[in-house]
This record gives sequence, C-alpha cells and structure tokens, in this order.
Amino acid sequence: MPSFDMLFLAILQALVLLAIAPLMTGVSRMIRARMHSRRGPGVLQDYRDIIKLLKRQDVAPASAGFVFQVTPYVVISSMLLLAMALPVFTRHSPVGAIADLITFAYVFALARFFFALSGLDSGSSFAGIGASRELTMGVLVEPTMILSLVVVALVEGSTNLGSISASIAGGYLQAPMAILLALAAFAFSVFIEMGKLPFDMAEAEQELQEGPLTEYSGSSLAVLKLGLGLKKIVLAQFLIGVFLPFGILETLSGLSFLMAAVILPLKLLVIFVAAGLIENSMARGRFLLTSRVTWIGFGFAVLAFMFYLTGL
Amino acid sequence: MNTTPLGFLLISVALYLAGALASVLMSRREQLAILISGVAGILGGAAGIAAALPILLGGATQLFAAAGPFPFAHFVLRLDPLAALMVFVISLLVLVCSLYSLAYVREYAGRGAWAMGFFMNVFVASMVALMVVDNAFYFLIFFEMMSLASYFLVIFDQDKEAVSAGFLYFLIAHAGSVLIMAAFFLLYGRSGSLDFESFRALHLTGPLASVVFLLAFFGFGAKAGMVPLHSWLPRAHPAAPSHASALMSGVMVKIGVFGIIKVGIDLLGANTSWWGMLVLAIGGISAVLGVLYALAEKDLKRLLAYSTVENVGIILMGVGAGMIGLATHNTALAVVGLLAGFYHLLNHAVFKGLLFLGAGSILYRTHTKDMDKLGGLATRMPWTAGAFLVGAMAISALPPLNGFVSEWFTYQALFSMGSSGSDVAVRMAGPVGMVMLAITGALAAMCFVKAYGLSFSGLPRSEHADHAKEAPLPMVAAMALLALLIVALGVGAPLVAPVMAGVANSLINGVVPVVAQGVSVFPGNPQQALLSTPLLALLLLAIPVLPLLLVAGLKGARLARRHGGDAWACGYAQEQIMTASSHGFTQPMGVMFAPLYRLREILDPSRAAQRSLQWTIDAATRLEPVWDARVVNRIVDLVQWIGGKVQWLQHGDFRIYCLYVVVTLVVLLLIAV
Repeated sequence: MPSFDMLFLAILQALVLLAIAPLMTGVSRMIRARMHSRRGPGVLQDYRDIIKLLKRQDVAPASAGFVFQVTPYVVISSMLLLAMALPVFTRHSPVGAIADLITFAYVFALARFFFALSGLDSGSSFAGIGASRELTMGVLVEPTMILSLVVVALVEGSTNLGSISASIAGGYLQAPMAILLALAAFAFSVFIEMGKLPFDMAEAEQELQEGPLTEYSGSSLAVLKLGLGLKKIVLAQFLIGVFLPFGILETLSGLSFLMAAVILPLKLLVIFVAAGLIENSMARGRFLLTSRVTWIGFGFAVLAFMFYLTGL
Repeated sequence: MNTTPLGFLLISVALYLAGALASVLMSRREQLAILISGVAGILGGAAGIAAALPILLGGATQLFAAAGPFPFAHFVLRLDPLAALMVFVISLLVLVCSLYSLAYVREYAGRGAWAMGFFMNVFVASMVALMVVDNAFYFLIFFEMMSLASYFLVIFDQDKEAVSAGFLYFLIAHAGSVLIMAAFFLLYGRSGSLDFESFRALHLTGPLASVVFLLAFFGFGAKAGMVPLHSWLPRAHPAAPSHASALMSGVMVKIGVFGIIKVGIDLLGANTSWWGMLVLAIGGISAVLGVLYALAEKDLKRLLAYSTVENVGIILMGVGAGMIGLATHNTALAVVGLLAGFYHLLNHAVFKGLLFLGAGSILYRTHTKDMDKLGGLATRMPWTAGAFLVGAMAISALPPLNGFVSEWFTYQALFSMGSSGSDVAVRMAGPVGMVMLAITGALAAMCFVKAYGLSFSGLPRSEHADHAKEAPLPMVAAMALLALLIVALGVGAPLVAPVMAGVANSLINGVVPVVAQGVSVFPGNPQQALLSTPLLALLLLAIPVLPLLLVAGLKGARLARRHGGDAWACGYAQEQIMTASSHGFTQPMGVMFAPLYRLREILDPSRAAQRSLQWTIDAATRLEPVWDARVVNRIVDLVQWIGGKVQWLQHGDFRIYCLYVVVTLVVLLLIAV
C-alpha cells in the first residue's frame, strides 16, 4: 500500500489533470476553429458545456441497458486511476504498484471495452458501427504502443513507468537512437488514441454522430465527455512523463510543485497545439485503409527495437 | 476411512464411476439419473479438490504403486504438485458443471439423458485418473478412455454437423495418440520399463530427446487444439452439450498442455532451448489466429471454441518462456514463465467454463446459438448477463480480473527474455511475443464486446430472444460461482501467485524466487515490475465516488433518468436490420487481416482429410468391380460349374438315394476290413 503522502499526491494529480482536461480540449477546439478561419468558441467553452450538460436530464432509448448507464463512470474512473499513477509532479509514480506499462495498456483497454460496449448497448446502429471502429483502432494501435514502450523498458530494465521516467531523465544516452525512435512511435500511437484526424474515430465530431456517444445525453454525456477529455490529457502526460521527464524534480518537495506548476501546463500545451496543428492539416482517410497508415507507426517501433538489439 | 490426498482422489474417482453406473441403471427413470449423475459429479469434484489442495499448499508428493494385472506395467500413481494443480482445475470445473447439469440436462430428457450422465462421469473419471498415473501404459489407456467418452459427448445430438465434427475429432485425436505412443515407445526402448520414473532417470539428450519431444509436442498439441492442429476444436466443442463443452474447452485441452509439460519438462528436463522457442512460436501463432478466427464467427459457441485456441496459445507462450528459462539455466525466467502458464491455465478454465455455461443458458432459453438472432437478453436474463459480462471482461484481460493477472505474468516472462541472456534469438523472441500478446488482447476485447453486445445488448432480433426468461436456479448459481471465482483469482493474486510458483518450482528444483509480498506481485524481481490487484480493485471501486459527487452536486433542476423510444436513426424509424450484425461488426477486421483469414482455408486439414477420405472411397469403389471381376466372379463361376457337374447325382429318385446309402456302406466296410 502506498504511504499517506503518496496517496495524497496521487489524488492531487488526478484532480489537477481532471480540472485542466476541458481547458486542453478547449484549446484543441480553438485551434481547429482558427485553422478553419472561424472565430470559434473561447477556450473555456468545454467547461460551460459540461456544467450545462450536468444539469440536463438523461434520456436514452428503451433498448439501452445496464452497461450503457455505467460506462461514463467506468471510463472516467479508469482514466482517473491512470492519472493517479502517472509520474506528474515528480519523476516517480506515486502509486508504484499500478504504474506498470502493461497495467496501463490494459486499463486503457478497460475504458475502451466499456466505451465500445455502450455503443452496442444503446441499440443504435450508428453507435454500433462506432463501437466496431473504436475497437478496430485499438487493434491497430496496441502493438505500436506496447512495442515502443517495451523498447524503452528494455533499455531501462524495468516496466515500471516511474523507474523508466527516472532513468530516462538521468541519462538519455544509453541508447539514444532506440529511445528517439520509440518516442516517435509512441507519439504516433498517442496521436491516434487521442482521436485525431485522420484517425478520427473516438470523439469524431463529423463522423457517424460521434460513434458510441450517439445516444448519450445530459449528465451521462457530461461525465463521458469529461472522461474522454481526461483520456487525452492522460495520454499526453503519459508521453511527457515517460519520454520527456525533463525539468521535473526527482523527489517530492515544495520546489518540485512549483517547477511542475510552470512546466507541466507548458508541456501539455505544446503537445495539444502540435496535435491540433497536425490534425487540422490532414485530410480524412478512408477508414478501411487506416491499417496502411498505422503500419508506419509500427515500423518506427520495430526500427527502435532493432536499434536496441544491435546496441546502437 | 483413508483421508490422505490419494485417498480422497480414490473417493473422487469412485464417486464418478458410481455416478456413471447409477446413470445407466436408472435409464428408465431419467429425472433420477440426471439427479444422481449430477450429485455424483458435485461430490466427486469436492473430493477431488480435497485431494489436490493439501499438495498445492505445500504438501509432499504422494506415491502409490501396485503390481496391477499386467506383468509389463506397474500401476503407479503419483500425485505431485503439477498433477494436483490439474486435478484441482478439473474437479473445480466438474463441480460447477455438475451443478449446472442438474437443470440443463432436463433439456435432453427423453433423448438419452442417462447416457449423457454416463459418458460425462466416465469422461471426468478418466481425466482425473490420467493426471495421476505414472506409467505410460495406463496413461495411454486413460487417454483413450477420455477421447472416446468425449467423442460420444460430441456426437450426442446425432445431427449431421455433430456426427461429422465427431468424425474429425476422432481422427485427429487418434492421430495424436499415435504420436504420443511413438514417443513413449522410444523412451521405453531406452529405459526398458514403462514407468515414467524410469523415463525420468534416463536424462535423455541429443537428437533422440528432440524426436521424442517433437512427437509428444504434436501429439499432445492435437489434443490442446494448437494451430495448425486446431481445426477439429471449433467444430467438436460446440457440438457437445454446453456443460460438456465447458469441460472440454475448460479442461480437456489443458490435458494436451499438461502432456507437453509432462514430457517436455518433467520427463525430458527441457534441456534444449529451441524446444521452448518452438512452443513459444506455436503459442503466439495460435493466440493471434485463434482470436482472429473467433472474431469472424456468428455462432456463439464456435466463437468461444476458437477463443479456446487463443487461450491455449497464451498458456503455451508462458510454458515456452519457462522452457527457455530452464534450458538457459535462468531459474527466475523458468519460474515466472511456468507460473504464467499455470495461472492462465486455471483462469481460462474458470472463465471459459463460465462463458460456455452462459452460452448454454442462452441456448436453453432461446434455442439458438446464432448471435444474429439474439439481442436484448440483458433485461430478460439479468443474472446470466452479469455473469457473462464478468467472464467476457476476464477473458479480455481487463484489470483487476484474473485473466489480466496471468497475462501480466506472461508479459513479464517475455520481457525477462528480452532483457537477459546473450542469445539474440531469445532476446528477439521475447518482445515479438509481447507484441503478439498485445494484438491478441486487443482482438479479444473486440471479440468479447461483440459476443456480449450482440447477445445481450440492444433489441431482440428474434421471437425466441424476445420471449427468453432467466435460466433456472442451479444454472444461475453455477455461473455466479464462477464469476465470483474470477474476481477472487484476480484480486487475490498475491495469494494465488506463490502457489503457482510452488508448482512451477516443483518441476525446476532451483531457488524459488519470491513472487508476492504484501498486496503486490512481481516477477521475481520487484525492480522489474510490480502489480497490486487488490489496490487496483480498491481504487476502481473508490474512484467513481468523485464523478458521482460531481453529478449529484451539480444537479440543478435535472429530471430523473428516462428510458424510452427507439434509438435515433437520422429521422427514419429504426428497424431490426439497421442494428449491428455479427458480420458488419467485424467487417473492418476481415478487410485488414484478409491474408490471415485466407490462411485458414489453406491450413484446414478437414478438407484434406475429406479429400483423402473421398479418394479412399472412390478407390475402393473402383477397386471393388476389379476384384469382383478378377477373383470373386471367377470363383463363383467355378463353383457353379462344379455344381452343374455334380447335379446329375441328385435325380430326386428315392431308390437311387437308397442305392447311394448301400454303396457307401459297402465301401466303408471294405475300408474297415
């Protein structure tokens, strides 16, 4: 069991990430609007949306069942769990017994499982197709994600995210090429997982009436939107915490909070802006051909692994 | 009364046999036969668990030897930790399935339910006996008994599909037995005795050991349903009654895995590292292809059967990593790999048993296994739906359930392969295995979202599904029991993992690495990785409080939740045909993995078997006239010709017959004189 301090830190960072999630998705919306030459809503619009939605009634089709009702809570809880275990304020994870890269991959899978199942459970045909696409993306992304993380884990000799983070910050130079390529591959899979064009599936505003979200409304939709926003933050922080832990102190202290308070939002902002720019300069691809694009990411991961094997 | 573990085991087998016998005797009163064979199964299972637990929890191996009726084979029993684990898994599932059968088999009343009781109990008894015999001769006898009894369960429905599936099963099972026999005879040729103990003492090395291993690997692999010897499994398992499918998929395939471990590690000592690589490679391929083919199925039980191929693959990956660890003298890797394999073996028995029982309940109420004709069952069969959902989550390896823990250990074993040793092949194989496992995991999630979603969610797509109601109490109780076990085996990982490590260690005899401390488990080295499922479960239960508070706090003037009306369909009225279908759901996979699906057509031996069978029949029909014309007809002609010549003797004149008698008498008298 983690100590009291660590538990406090864990809860704190989960709350912080949750609190800034709508801000970051607001930034994404703003960037998209600007690149479309629209004025668009302000960056705080997602807060207003969520608060408004929370006050609205839940309406669902008669066919929607138990899974449909619990999914928003499962999604947000699994993301909060990950937010607790990530290295955020320090280079170590506050809850080491969860911060394993395989555990992480499967907690993401837990959220995905319920999210997709809720699409089928609503009984809507659009949500059903959305569910199928959501899971297909999972199949295409998972190998890249695991392999790129495994390469760094192999370099650092541990699958614990905290240990990886700490040793990467300590010495990038153990296997620089391997780590850089793994970083590229992992960033690629994070980009897809964030539900961005041209892979635009999860929160696809334009496509298929937002996939499994189709039938959600009111407070359920608010919780689910918050959960999906948090998922993006967690993914971005996953990338930052594991591959780019610079400027963050080794252990917990007042100073580490101060530094993190400055650096963390900056890093997140950079990631979201970069992702937004890439997203909006892309054309949408045909879904059935997505696998051809994801092979590129997997190729990077394989290359990283080869570099590791040959010791470059 | 003898209460040693072996004594309990004897009681357990005796109970099964008594149940089988009583079932036959009661063939006139089927309700009673169902009850007696079910209760015998429950009691036998309990006795089996009582036999296995003391050994698993650290007891010493028990031996028993008797001369037996055959001079060439001693009747030797050996209850070691590995056998105890298998007996435990078998007994556990038998207990639950027997409970389930009390209600389920009523469906078969009037169609030979008593015979089902007989074959089930014989099947189980032979499996239990098979686990503990320590002599090749008796091993083969029990192996055949198990194959035969299960064959009769497969063809129980007597329809065309069942009979042809049974035929394929029969063929492949016996092809496997021949290979196993050959392996044992090679060992017998060296040791001069059929006792496994003498095989162990051989310490065989070199090419002969490899030949024996390969024979046993493919022989037992056929039973385990690994790719490419899997094609019988998705046809045979679904054909059997559902509680028998649960036992076949949950337990019988594990006997194939057990055999591979028995021969590869226990008898031969796994001293060659490419054996482990082979097991790992076949395991990885089985896992990916198994789940990919499962995805494409629309028959619920066939989907589950294909997923058994997948899970056998995952178990073999763990075992393969363990064997590599043994061959390279990396004790930690050996223990963690085998631990992962054993843990997943137990877990798969539990969740696949649950899922097959769930499919059985659906079949019991709706009379269909076609998922396109189901739907909407969650509101009609809520308990079944809940249990099935737990099983589906566990098989998709979602934390904190049991499937996740064993897959996590498998990942860790493969990771250790990647980071240790100087052999590049081993270092490469580990991460490649991890990627395969990752693809398998993602595909399994898709597969079981589909299985649950199409069966239980949305609107009913047929009248039968619309009118379904909850399954009878014994069936629900059996499923609930397994669902609880899934949670317990997941959350209780810090208690279960050391037991599995103990079993693994009994095959290795090295220094046991510690795999659990407090509420965490780790693969021998806490620096490498750490996992605490109790903590995960606790947090996953506690965290939802936050969003719930948020929703409650910002209530405003919100009205209560309302469910009603159709789902939105762009302003059109929603129709059945619009909702997700089995084929439509997995269509992207079919496009993206088209080459792998084509592979199935190529790999399918049933076509080749069909072709060769057809060829044999054709040849026989062609040969028959030739044989007739050349041999049979000639003989017939000859006989008729002789008959014609002899005919004049029989005129039908009474006086001439008298003459014959007199002449004969005279001739005989002359000879006598």
